[in-house]
Amino acid sequence: MRSTLMQQFVSVALNSLLAAGLYATMAYGLAVIYGVMRIINLAHAGVMMLGAYVTYALFTRFAIDPFLGLVIVAPLFFLFGVLLYKLFGRRMAAPGNAPSIESLLLLFGVWLVLQNTAYVIWTGDTQSILTSYTLKSMEIAGVRVGLPSVFVFLASVASLVFLNVLLKRTYLGKAIRAVTQNRDAALLSGVNADRISAIAFGIGTAFAGIAGAMLSSLMAFTPDFGRSFLLKSFCIIVLGGMESVTGVAAGALVLAILENGLAAYTSVPTSLQDAVSFALLFVALVVLPRGLPGLLAVFERRRAAQ
Amino acid sequence: MKFVRYAFCLASALFVLSAPFFLERGTLNDLWNLALAVTLASAWNILGGFAGQVSLGYSAFLGIGAYTTALLSLRGVDPFLTLPLAAVLAALFSVAIGLPAFRLRGPYFTIATIGVGEAVRVCAASVSFTGGSSGLRMPAGSFDFNHNYFSMMILAILTIALAAYVKKSAFGRALAAIRQDIDAAEALGINSTRFKLAAHALSAAVVAVAGSLYAINFQYIAPGSVFDFQLSLNIVLMPIIGGVGTLVGPVLGALIVSTLQIKLLSMPMLRDSFLFIYGGLLIFLMLFEPKGVMGIRDRVIAFFRRIARPRTGSADAA
Repeated sequence: MRSTLMQQFVSVALNSLLAAGLYATMAYGLAVIYGVMRIINLAHAGVMMLGAYVTYALFTRFAIDPFLGLVIVAPLFFLFGVLLYKLFGRRMAAPGNAPSIESLLLLFGVWLVLQNTAYVIWTGDTQSILTSYTLKSMEIAGVRVGLPSVFVFLASVASLVFLNVLLKRTYLGKAIRAVTQNRDAALLSGVNADRISAIAFGIGTAFAGIAGAMLSSLMAFTPDFGRSFLLKSFCIIVLGGMESVTGVAAGALVLAILENGLAAYTSVPTSLQDAVSFALLFVALVVLPRGLPGLLAVFERRRAAQ
Repeated sequence: MKFVRYAFCLASALFVLSAPFFLERGTLNDLWNLALAVTLASAWNILGGFAGQVSLGYSAFLGIGAYTTALLSLRGVDPFLTLPLAAVLAALFSVAIGLPAFRLRGPYFTIATIGVGEAVRVCAASVSFTGGSSGLRMPAGSFDFNHNYFSMMILAILTIALAAYVKKSAFGRALAAIRQDIDAAEALGINSTRFKLAAHALSAAVVAVAGSLYAINFQYIAPGSVFDFQLSLNIVLMPIIGGVGTLVGPVLGALIVSTLQIKLLSMPMLRDSFLFIYGGLLIFLMLFEPKGVMGIRDRVIAFFRRIARPRTGSADAA
């Protein structure tokens, strides 16, 4: 009895960890754009969907493996993001510190156009990518997990590590962090905030594309695909406090644990699982407007007061 | 000028109410859809336009209305008697959502409402008493198109009148103050949360009644139709295209979007480009004229005034 409980616990923990990698990747794209430009990129869902379809096209036309395809998808979507910024970016930047409704609706329009583009090119039929390893699985610590989810996790970790090095070690990274913390101060110290914003939008879009590509190897997709993942990403960055890579990772882990835990330990039907993350989004927005870091800060202050 | 406006409103009301006597069924159906769109857009505008709280979760209220009516009719209640209950339930739900959500401002509120709308849809599709994702069929023998036509028209007319009344009243002025500067409004002693809740409840109730009429007219509802995200999106798009916060804007936007929809559906070539047109319109308006058609109208008027008036500015100054 004890060993089955243990087994279940290990399984929940492992599956949560694997899911969290993917969640962090897709949420980070949203977070970097929010950080630098203070806009909520609703087109994120459309870009993820497009990432899935581009991977599908690479796989069917040129027989390029979905994970090898990331090498093409990432730079392609980076350029696409920079292009989007050049087209709309200056109008999107909010004057104050809060995102504007206009930018939200503008990006919503972009999402709709992307969706229709996918309908026209690939029709509304459900597509999926079937590789030689799609149905294979492996055993980790006595738990069977699908091979694609392991690959997705590894690719996610690789891209997040790459990003962290970029942010911490290069001038570009410093500039991005500076603009995130205080745009005016960054401008005063000679950072070209417009160029940084363009690059950040590119990075955010690239991460959405990568997330979409990885999702395509895990599940079937349609042009309508991506909305629930957008809401999940948003939930994660709200939990993570909107700005830092570590915060995003923590938020991703919380959401993944909650989803997997509910599925394993309660009788909540799987069809209701999405409702859980939407409800969590709502609760997090209302109760934790500054996310988990804000909550930690509150505890810290209490301890200091005692 | 004011007289012309009233006369025009009265004439259109008389026209739609007498239409069944001289128009054919297909046209009346289109008119029904138009009136539904006008109702939804004008009702959304009370919160989204007057108070500036953009919600992307209004399909939840339409769905609550539709499901209340369908569930009660299936238990033998006359469908039209369920309208008040639908309105009350939706208003209560709107308060339950609004109490926490109105602590959020601007886009954060908008995102929270997407979450609520989706959560409600997922719940309706997975609990059993709503018939799950296969939906509900209204009991046979409860269909009379003339009834449906008149009730929809009356609802649309009442909604426009309600919006006009709200805009003129002290309540509407408080909402306008909240839209323009919520902190300043609070400083003037306006309890912004209470006013937002009231506006939310009022528009939710109207949308729920529209949902009931939807269920009565279409005879079949499912989470995929009445709780659809696309529907929430349409409800927002119409006032934005017409002109948020004005009285005429939502009506105009509803007419534009519904006509587009009817025309597009009859052209097989363009049937698949709904989203291009919606998305394109949204991008275009947000880039160049966030006030919609009404904003364009104001610009045109200002332009003609400038031309019509001889250049006396410099002479006056001298």
